[in-house]
Amino acid sequence: MINRTYTHPKVYVLVWLVLLALLALTIGSAFLSLGWANTPLNLAISVTQAALVMLFSMHLRSAHPLLRIIAVIGFFGIAILVSLSLFDVLAR
Amino acid sequence: MANRVASLAHQFDDPEQQRTASNLGIWLFLATEILFFGVLFAAYAITRVRFPEAFAAASRLTNLPLAGTNTAVLVTSSLTMALAVHAAQRGARPALVGWLSLTVALGCAFLAIKAVEYRLDYLEHLVPRLGFHYAGAQADQVELFFYMYFFITGVHALHVLVGIGCIATIAVMASRNAFSPAYFTPVDVTGLYWHLVDIIWLFVFPILYLVSRS
Repeated sequence: MINRTYTHPKVYVLVWLVLLALLALTIGSAFLSLGWANTPLNLAISVTQAALVMLFSMHLRSAHPLLRIIAVIGFFGIAILVSLSLFDVLAR
Repeated sequence: MANRVASLAHQFDDPEQQRTASNLGIWLFLATEILFFGVLFAAYAITRVRFPEAFAAASRLTNLPLAGTNTAVLVTSSLTMALAVHAAQRGARPALVGWLSLTVALGCAFLAIKAVEYRLDYLEHLVPRLGFHYAGAQADQVELFFYMYFFITGVHALHVLVGIGCIATIAVMASRNAFSPAYFTPVDVTGLYWHLVDIIWLFVFPILYLVSRS
């Protein structure tokens, strides 16, 4: 009986509060003139938020390794798709 | 013995194996969903790199207060869904039905706010093909941004709609006592789908609404 240790509700509430704080941070940072750094910062915050939801709300922290691999493959696929597409455009 | 595992399909050895199989299935589906939205993100990235000024100008025309509120609504609905799954694990039926109903309500609130936003976009002539008008430079490229804006947010809203339908169904099943701490796979699996719809929005929000606000 693996995977039967349940997450305490306090953890979900804490994740929720951190997600809202990060939302405020990403909106706030967008109004600062950071030049090229604005977009990477927004995306880094999104990745952090996604990681929190996946690890805690979606229980990947305690999930079967196979599930974690599948979850990562999806995002890995996007990274390849977007970066290779951009190489083409940027190299023209 | 038969009673102990009443919800166990005959091809599985034990409830744990059945649960892992269901989770594997939903995660595979979620991976295809991630790739589906990935194509949209790739198309967005290519056009934004080609027309950075037009995308910056277009993004400033989007409604940040409403979208920011909507992000908070969806993040909160993710919390209520997580608490619903927790209630299912403990076999707390009233709490389960309550959290699921609240999640449905928040999902409906998200769609309602989105509808108001679309209406304002229409009134501001931002809808391509439906009276689109932009007086500044690169009007065609600004229109291209709004094609992407409506397609990406529209497909996402469709996912929210499907999620609301699933969660409402689960809530009715829960009120009829269909789940127990030994079997609540539909709650678990629907929760995973809902969290993913939330995650996708967490990426859609900055790339459409926060391009160039400073």
